Amino acid sequence: MTGSKTTEYVTLVSNDGYEFKLLRSAACLAGTIKKALDPTSGFIETTQNRVDLPTINGVVLEKVCEYLYYNQKHAESRDVSDMDIPPELCLELLIAADYLDV
Amino acid sequence: MSGRRPRGAGIRGPHSALTDFLAANNISAQEIRDSYQQRVRQAEQEAAQTDDNGEGPSNGGAEVEEDLQAESSTMAAERTRKRKRDQDEAIAKIKKGKAAKKVQKKKQKKNSSDDDSDFEDVMDMYKKAKPLPGQLENCELCNKRFTVTPYSKAGPEGGLLCTPCGKEMVKDTKAEAKANKPVVRRGRRKMESNRLDGMTDCGPKTLQQLCIEKLAQHSEDIDELGEMPEGIMNRISEIFSKKRAMNSTTMKLFLQPDMDRVAIHEAAYLETEDYDQIFAICPNVKRLSLRNCCQFKDSNIDYMNEKARALEEIQLLGANLVSNDKWAELFIARGKDLKAFKVEWLDAAFDDEAVEALTTFCPNLERLKLERCKQIGPDSIDAIARLQHLKHLTLRFHDPITREKLTHLIRSIGTNLETLCLEHFLDNTSDPTDDVLATIHTTCTRLSKFRFTENNECTDAGYVNLFSHWSNPPLRYIDINSTRDLDNTNPDGPQESPIGLASAGFLALMTHSGPSLEFLDISSCRHISHETFTLVFDGVKQYPHLVEINLSFCPVVDTHVVAGIFRSCPLVKKVVTFGCFRVEDVRVPQGIVLIGAPRAQDLIEQFGEGSLDL
Repeated sequence: MTGSKTTEYVTLVSNDGYEFKLLRSAACLAGTIKKALDPTSGFIETTQNRVDLPTINGVVLEKVCEYLYYNQKHAESRDVSDMDIPPELCLELLIAADYLDV
Repeated sequence: MSGRRPRGAGIRGPHSALTDFLAANNISAQEIRDSYQQRVRQAEQEAAQTDDNGEGPSNGGAEVEEDLQAESSTMAAERTRKRKRDQDEAIAKIKKGKAAKKVQKKKQKKNSSDDDSDFEDVMDMYKKAKPLPGQLENCELCNKRFTVTPYSKAGPEGGLLCTPCGKEMVKDTKAEAKANKPVVRRGRRKMESNRLDGMTDCGPKTLQQLCIEKLAQHSEDIDELGEMPEGIMNRISEIFSKKRAMNSTTMKLFLQPDMDRVAIHEAAYLETEDYDQIFAICPNVKRLSLRNCCQFKDSNIDYMNEKARALEEIQLLGANLVSNDKWAELFIARGKDLKAFKVEWLDAAFDDEAVEALTTFCPNLERLKLERCKQIGPDSIDAIARLQHLKHLTLRFHDPITREKLTHLIRSIGTNLETLCLEHFLDNTSDPTDDVLATIHTTCTRLSKFRFTENNECTDAGYVNLFSHWSNPPLRYIDINSTRDLDNTNPDGPQESPIGLASAGFLALMTHSGPSLEFLDISSCRHISHETFTLVFDGVKQYPHLVEINLSFCPVVDTHVVAGIFRSCPLVKKVVTFGCFRVEDVRVPQGIVLIGAPRAQDLIEQFGEGSLDL
């Protein structure tokens, strides 16, 4: 358990190999990622600070990361303008969002 | 080019691998030979000079020679580089010329009849021809050389830009367009609407919500939804229904052969054939829910009976084109498999005989909902009383039902009931009594949801009796709205024995069910006193599960009471106070939404900000 210390940034990996490094606080807004990175859970993700998402491709994951930061930025504010989602990504993104619990 | 024969001349001598290699690396044998000969000649001259001077060969001469050699090699390198550039430029020029000629030819063809075509051609000559894709060009902004592609952007002066500069420019123009767009302000109406929808959280919407809303906007463009979790499918179906986007085309998105649940919450735009589609595509459907299915006809019932043999739960709202006989046929076809049956808003058919058929052929019904069906009356109550397996019962009759019938019903099937909803049950044949409540008190022991609304027959004492020492565990859901005296000349009701849920009854209710109550609706229970409210919601007593509470038209409710609710109910999300004119200037804690406070106009944003310590 050498690398078990929690880092500021974590890595999300899409099924086509793209890696997204983002703030742990933002990543943990997604329930599934939060659980995977929960230090008490003992998952391998906690030691590697890296979450493989084999069901999500790079394009969708990029949008997810954008949303996570958008959510973090606007967490406190009211009447937030909706984030723009390209219609063609909608369905894939919806499935990803359901999986990630965001 | 000195050494090499011009290509294309047709004559080529034998080539060695070395020649090829040297040629490929721009090393010319001729040049090497030239420089060697030059060196030799110089050496001879120098030798002659030194001979003249009578001096022997010196080191200096050798040095000069070396310098010369070095110089010549650098010069050679430079020359080759320059030559290459010249060559490229020449090729580019030729290509450019060809392209220009082509354009001119085209123009000539086009304008051959025009007199001024020559003039135009002359003018064209002064213009710089734009390079075609594949050619090289200097970027207009950074002056770097780059290969032109079909995607190269035009610069501000009309020239072309290299890829990085082009990207930069696109970014700039996009940013400008964004800045020019007017800021969309969401109106107050939209905000109020959202609040009534219960969108309490102040942060951004969830990603799922965003996606679903976007999907609804583009409902016409979706070809297929694909594999979706059922919950999400239902959510999309709901929002399509809400936006009136559920039609023959979009409905098919929600039909998949392996589905066992079909729920179309707004089927008003669907045609008769569309309903047949449902059973053709999903023959395994177990749970069917169609609301406002106006075009659901006898033929659909026939088809459903034939195809959908696994149906267990049926909900049809407003299916007024189905005749009585067909209803009976449906019950015969489904028989003992039918577990749940819900119909609302039927006034053309579905009479007592249909209910009789339902209870006869479908004895295993666990869930029954009959609301606003005009043709059914007291006989149906007797028929329902025979359904021994009922767990959930919701009734709203149009005709008055005598109290005897109702108590008989509850006595017969009350013990198993988990849900009992009796709306608008009035008996105008005899004087009001609390018999119904007393029967519920003695019979029902498993209720978790209780609704008893819109009547002015039971007294406060009856409610006290119901909720005191009731062997039923605490309820989860209570709706006793609009139980009050209806005498315009005496709005406060009889002081001695109040009619409807009043102070004592409310106290008994909260004492009995408070620990697990999640939903409470006591709107229009006008006889509950302010003291009782402050006693129940004193901020010390806790109602740990209460999420939603409706106090509308309870005129005594004021700011103090609402604040008490915030402190007594840690999980509360929604407080409804329409018509509570004494609610003013409440500081709403975060995550709670207060709806309908009429006096709080200046504080219309009632989303919670403050902390709980008021």
